[in-house]
Amino acid sequence: MTAPLILDKIVKGYQDGKEYQEILSKVSLSVEKGQTTAVIGPSGSGKSTFLSVAGALLSPDSGAVIINGQSIAGFSAKQLANIRLNQIGYIFQAANLVPYLTVKEQLKLVIEMNRNWSKDAQLRVKEALGDVGLGERLNAYPHQLSGGEKQRVAIARAFMNDPDIILADEPTANLDQARSHEIVRLIAKEAKEKNKAAILVTHDEKLLEYCSVVYTIEAGELVKRT
Amino acid sequence: MFALAIKEIRFFKLKYSLIGFILFLLASLVFIVSGLAGGLSLNNVAMLENSHANHFFLSEDAENRLDQSGYIVDDLLEALPREGGWEPFLIQNYRLDADSSETKLAVTMMPVDPNSFLYPGVIEGTDLSDSEAIEIVVDQSMKVDGVTIGDTLYEEDNDLSFEVIGFTEGQTYRHAPVAYLAETAFYSLELTPHTVANAIVIETEETVLQAAITGAFDEGVWVGKADVIDGVPGHSSEQMSLNMMIFFLIVIAVFVLAAFFYILTIQKLNQFGVLKALGASNQFLIGATLLQVLTLTTVSLILAIGFTYFITTILPEGMPFDFNSGLLVQYSVTMLAVSLIGALLSAIKIVKIDPQQAIGRVE
Repeated sequence: MTAPLILDKIVKGYQDGKEYQEILSKVSLSVEKGQTTAVIGPSGSGKSTFLSVAGALLSPDSGAVIINGQSIAGFSAKQLANIRLNQIGYIFQAANLVPYLTVKEQLKLVIEMNRNWSKDAQLRVKEALGDVGLGERLNAYPHQLSGGEKQRVAIARAFMNDPDIILADEPTANLDQARSHEIVRLIAKEAKEKNKAAILVTHDEKLLEYCSVVYTIEAGELVKRT
Repeated sequence: MFALAIKEIRFFKLKYSLIGFILFLLASLVFIVSGLAGGLSLNNVAMLENSHANHFFLSEDAENRLDQSGYIVDDLLEALPREGGWEPFLIQNYRLDADSSETKLAVTMMPVDPNSFLYPGVIEGTDLSDSEAIEIVVDQSMKVDGVTIGDTLYEEDNDLSFEVIGFTEGQTYRHAPVAYLAETAFYSLELTPHTVANAIVIETEETVLQAAITGAFDEGVWVGKADVIDGVPGHSSEQMSLNMMIFFLIVIAVFVLAAFFYILTIQKLNQFGVLKALGASNQFLIGATLLQVLTLTTVSLILAIGFTYFITTILPEGMPFDFNSGLLVQYSVTMLAVSLIGALLSAIKIVKIDPQQAIGRVE
């Protein structure tokens, strides 16, 4: 069985004024199902760019992004949106919930974007929210939730369309120590239980205990930590 | 998509009711001004619009104005009997005294053959007959002045008394009610030694008849009803200024709405970026935005229509106001199109949003 996400010799740079700056140089990575892979590095090391490329938001200058055995090079904006919708689940720094939707509706939205709403989906929403410990807050609005609760909704949302890949971008940036551990533990647990390949990008060393594989990103290069 | 649009409106009630209210006011103003335009127009030319006379033979230098045109038709009467299908069209301005009114009432007196196509018939009271009794059938708008059936209206200059025997409807000309008088009665008054007319009219186009009539006079041209209506003094300038107001209201609506929807979209750019990163297509986001605008506009338009009808019930009775459903549909569709155009401007912005901005950004 192939890994759901393979990055093969990814190079990505930006034109900064007259200079060309290489952010990622020959980054290769393969993530396995059921595992949480951490990518750790200081700010400015290219973490965000790495995640954008891995998440089909940015095309690399060279190298291949292979999602479930399929290279996404040359995909149209619409095809990429579809890949993001069905095969990738995102968890952002801020929960980025839609302010006017209840917790339940946040999850319903991503299913609706997929035109898949059904009775069965309704059950899935309830189950997913139960899994992240929000079974009692189905009808709360984002402004009624704490930072940790919002992030949990975001986690449930990321898993909703049953993607194979979960990308978490500093999901604990806005949270205190205790909450951060809780959230990362939850992501790792969900990834394991639901057999997803999760990538956690963070700068916090303390959170690495929940991850099975750890990579360090430095000066555009990805190094496996042993 | 629709649920998303509705939920947002429900959540941000104040924001959306303000926009809805502005839409409502603009639409109401468009409806009311066009109702007024319609009412004034009707008041000015209803008699012509409702008339069965469709072709008018007018003096060449009359510039399509009935009051500038005049014929003595004695010769024509001898040469060509009226059974051939023509009628003399005669209007005269009278100022009448009524017991019920302190001021003199202006009417357009129109002597007609009660059996001809020029006579509209009554909606109340008795019809005119070929008698020499000085009886008139007047437009029902005279009821506002307190005129009732059986009243006598007095004309001072010629010392004439007219008895009102019936009411007709939709018969006003140059903002004055039309009073129909039997031709036989009119000529028995011997106000003129000749049979006179402002115009010769026929109901349907008949080449032979028209040529015969043309031949009987030294000069004159055949003019269609629409041109005669346009020739009524004040009609086109009145309509033009009101239509200009409506036009500008709609232009204002385009810009106000476009600005509103644009700002709304700008406010939501981050949110749209996140939704795009989550996999929402442009189509989905634009669809939700347009549906939202459509909902908002439809609700506002329905309220505006209701408000306009309410206004018509509280307007003073003599106020000219005519708002028909044809116009209503026409302007509603225009307003709907206008707000959708405004919203489409924001669609460009939505397409341009880069979903990548959702990564690496703290709220």
